[in-house]
Amino acid sequence: MAILEVRDLSAGYGPIRALDGVSIDVGEGETVAIIGANGAGKTTLLMAIVGVVPARSGSVAFQGRPITGLPTHVVSRMGIGHAPEGRRIFPRLSVRENLELGGFTQTDRQALKRDIDEACGMFPVLGERMAQMGGTLSGGEQQMLALARALVGRPKLLLLDEPSLGLAPLIVERIFDVIGSLAKRGISVVLVEQNARAALRLADRGYVLETGRVTLTGPGAELAHDRRVREAYLGEG
Amino acid sequence: MFFLQQCLIGLTNGALVALVALGYTMVYGIIGLINFAHGDLIMLGACLALTLVGALGIAAGGGAATWAGVAALVLLCGLFCGGLNVAVDRIVYKPLRNAPKLAPLVSAIGVSFIFMNAGLFWLGPADRSFPDLVPSTNLLAHDGLQFTLKDLLVVLVVVPLMVGLSLLVRTTRLGKAMRAVSQDPVAAALVGVDVDRVIAATFFIGGFLGGAASVIYGLYINTIGFQMGFQNGLYAFTAAVLGGIGSIPGAVLGGLVIGLVRALSSAYVGERWTGAIVFAILIVILVFRPEGLLGRRTREKV
Repeated sequence: MAILEVRDLSAGYGPIRALDGVSIDVGEGETVAIIGANGAGKTTLLMAIVGVVPARSGSVAFQGRPITGLPTHVVSRMGIGHAPEGRRIFPRLSVRENLELGGFTQTDRQALKRDIDEACGMFPVLGERMAQMGGTLSGGEQQMLALARALVGRPKLLLLDEPSLGLAPLIVERIFDVIGSLAKRGISVVLVEQNARAALRLADRGYVLETGRVTLTGPGAELAHDRRVREAYLGEG
Repeated sequence: MFFLQQCLIGLTNGALVALVALGYTMVYGIIGLINFAHGDLIMLGACLALTLVGALGIAAGGGAATWAGVAALVLLCGLFCGGLNVAVDRIVYKPLRNAPKLAPLVSAIGVSFIFMNAGLFWLGPADRSFPDLVPSTNLLAHDGLQFTLKDLLVVLVVVPLMVGLSLLVRTTRLGKAMRAVSQDPVAAALVGVDVDRVIAATFFIGGFLGGAASVIYGLYINTIGFQMGFQNGLYAFTAAVLGGIGSIPGAVLGGLVIGLVRALSSAYVGERWTGAIVFAILIVILVFRPEGLLGRRTREKV
C-alpha cells in the first residue's frame, strides 16, 4: 500500500501556477526521487504535501488518510518529516536545541535523548558541536543538522529538499549514504534533487517534473538510462 | 546621597518601564509587530484594578489582608490583560498574518484608539486617583535616603516575574518553541510546533506582565487616566528599542536605563527636559548601535 498518495495536486503563488495536476505515489519503505530543473515545482510539491503552500485542487493522502488542508504541525505530528530547502535550521538555537525541537512532540525525555544520540551517531560531527549555535555551523554541518533534526522526530515518511545543494563532494557522499540507509530503517523517502545522477542511483523510482507537471516516471535505473533524462538532467547527449 | 536617592528612584521606575517593555519586545520578537496598543492595554488593566479595589473592598492598612488584595489584583489584572491581548491577536492581527507588515501595524494603532475610548468610558475624562493601599513608609533607617514600602512592592512584583519569564523562555518546551517560532515559523511548524498557539501564548504572557505592571503603576503613581497608555507606552517602547527590540534582557536593561535617565535628568536638569533627553539618548545610541544595546547584529550564514 502507498504511504503517500498525491492526486492531481495544483498549487501556486498569486497568479503563478507552480504545480499543475501532479500525481505521485510513494510505497512503504520506498525511496522516490523527484528530479527537474530550477523552478519546475519540486519544492512547491513538498511544501504543498505538508500544507505550507495551500493546495488549490487535488488531494494528498498519508497512510490512507486525507491530509489536504490540514495545518502543517498536524501533518508533521502524523509522521511526515521535512528537511526543507535552504535547511532552515534555527540559527540562534544550539545544535542540541535544534535536535530537541526535531523531537518536539516526544514527551518521553529518555526516548528523546536516545533519538538524539542515534541521530548524532549518523553524523558524529553534530555530537561534537552540541553547544554551538546552529548559525555558526558550516553549510555541510547545517545540512546534516537539518536531516538529523527531521530524523529525531521519528518520521515514517521523510521529505528531503536538495540535501546536496552547494556542498563539497565528500559531504554529499556522507549525506547520501545516510539517505540510502533510511529504507532499511523502514522510512519512506521523497528525495528532491538537482543532482539527478546521485538521486536516481539511490531511488527505487523517480519522477521528472517539468513546469509543474510530471512528464516522465519509472524505476530509478530505467530513468537514469532514458535518453531524454540523460540529455536534460545528466549533462549527456 | 542625593545622587544615590535619584538612582534608587530611577531603578524602581525603570523596573516598571521594563515590565511594560517586555510586552513590546516579546510580540515583536515572535511576529515582528510593534504592538502600539500595548500601552493602552495597560491603561485598561489599571481601570480594572481601580474597579476591583472597590468591588473587592481592598482597604489600606498594610496588614495581610491588604497584601492578599494586592496579590489578587496583580493576578486578576494580569489574566485580564493577557486574555484581552490574546483576543485582539485572534480577531485583529491573526487574519493579517500574511499581509504586508504595514497592515497589522496600522491595525494596532486602531486597537490603541479603541482601547483608549473604552478607557474614556470606564474612567471618565478626568484623571482618577488610585487608592494609596501601600504606604510610603521608609524602610531604611536613614533620613537622607528613602526606600519605601512602595518601592519594595515594585521590586517584589517585578523581579519574580522577570526571573520566571527568563526561566520559561530558556528552559521550558514552550520557551524553546517560542524561540524557534521567532527565528523561523515555517521550520517550527515542520517539526510539529503549533505556531498559532505559541503566538497566542506569547501575547498572553506579554499581556499578563502588562496587567501586573498596571496594578503596580496605580499603587505607585496613584493617578490613572485614560490617556496614560500613550506616554507610558512610548517610554516602554523606547526602552525596548534601546535594549534591542526582540531581546528580553535588552528590554529589562533598556527599561532600567530609561528609568535612571528620567530620574537623573528630572533631578539635575529639570522635569521639562526629561522627554527630550531620553529621546536624544535613544537617537545617539541608535546611530552608533542600530541593533540596540543587547540586540543581535544580523549576520547569519546562508
